[in-house]
Amino acid sequence: MNTFFLRVLSSDKLFFEDRVCQLVLPLEDGEMAVQAHHANMVIATSIGEIRIKTAKGEEIIGVVGEGFVQIVNNRVILIVDSAERPEDIDRVRAKQAKERAEERLRQKESLKEYKQSEASLSRALTRLRVTEKI
Amino acid sequence: MANTKEIQNRIRSIKDTMKITNAMYMISSSKLKKAKKDLENTEPYFYTLQVALSRVLRHMPEMEHLYYDSREGIREEDRRRGYIVVTADKGMAGAYNHNVIKIAEKELADHPNSELYVVGQVGRHYFAKRGVPVDIHFQYTAQNPSMHRARVIADKMLEYYEDGDIDEVYIIYTNMKSSVQADAEMIRLLPLEKKDLGNVATGVFQEEIVMEPSPKAILDRIIPNYVTGFIYGALVESFCSEQNSRMMAMDSATNSAKEMLNDLSIKFNRARQAAITQEITEIAGGARALQNRK
Repeated sequence: MNTFFLRVLSSDKLFFEDRVCQLVLPLEDGEMAVQAHHANMVIATSIGEIRIKTAKGEEIIGVVGEGFVQIVNNRVILIVDSAERPEDIDRVRAKQAKERAEERLRQKESLKEYKQSEASLSRALTRLRVTEKI
Repeated sequence: MANTKEIQNRIRSIKDTMKITNAMYMISSSKLKKAKKDLENTEPYFYTLQVALSRVLRHMPEMEHLYYDSREGIREEDRRRGYIVVTADKGMAGAYNHNVIKIAEKELADHPNSELYVVGQVGRHYFAKRGVPVDIHFQYTAQNPSMHRARVIADKMLEYYEDGDIDEVYIIYTNMKSSVQADAEMIRLLPLEKKDLGNVATGVFQEEIVMEPSPKAILDRIIPNYVTGFIYGALVESFCSEQNSRMMAMDSATNSAKEMLNDLSIKFNRARQAAITQEITEIAGGARALQNRK
């Protein structure tokens, strides 16, 4: 199967770097899969789950924050705020974060605060959803 | 000449001080190492971000964006500038704080229509004492710079900028050139300058790139992170410079303490010798006087 080079960078570390077969990305309006020789694109990605199928056939799952992906000349670079493996996620913390965010959303907030709470709720939900599978 | 007791007291107190300066030296050096490692971990992210930003801009040279708007309609004297001033939380770091504050004061004198956002206790106290208005809600420590803090600061600055509260944002920090040289510098954060990002020669083949959902949405994602990265870099550089200059200050303090100890121990030996000689002379004199009486 055709492969392409993928690099996933988060603000504090290099999350992944190798040749892969397929990458599934979370976008604002659903998911998107990238395979080898994709058209050149720069796309904004949203909070969610990425699935990487490596050249060896392994599947790697990660939870990512907001960012964008750059697809140029069969090289894909995904730059995100944060990236975690499901096994590194603390479920208890995610649950607390979810409750906190829900609590905040119930109260009156400025638009900016509302956006922030919404984003942290979405992060917490993704973390919980992905860890449920394993 | 001072007596032996006094000299001994001084030696003891200098030794105690030396212990402190020596410990501070070690603390600074371990903090420096940690901060440098953190910076190394984030470097690839920001480097890639910068490259990506210049690529996006290259493909849309005519793009207009809020963060690139230099607001030429506003007259020079009406422009409101915001300065992020990065100082330390403590003194004892040589001229480190002084150099940064000097630049801030000069800017403030040239542009009275400015806001100061001070990071670190020393700077905050300095300006508060002088009656210079400083944003009181801007309370951040300079210790252990983290991505999170940089992001909070960046968000605040972008918010002020977007709302038009300030038209230009600068950061005054200390750039560590090498382990011996660190210079206080001022850099403009916002609005960004297009020409900074490198131009490609015309005639070079440029691949087509599709931007989804829109170029503006992409820039909205990249630029806040870029600014955050810049602030984080500046915080870490400053923190490293602070630790470095404290290391140097403490090193020279330890050295001069050693020198003083050396001098004092010679003095102490002389005083002791003199006391012994005097005692012997007195005893000898006394013995002779007793002999003479017989």
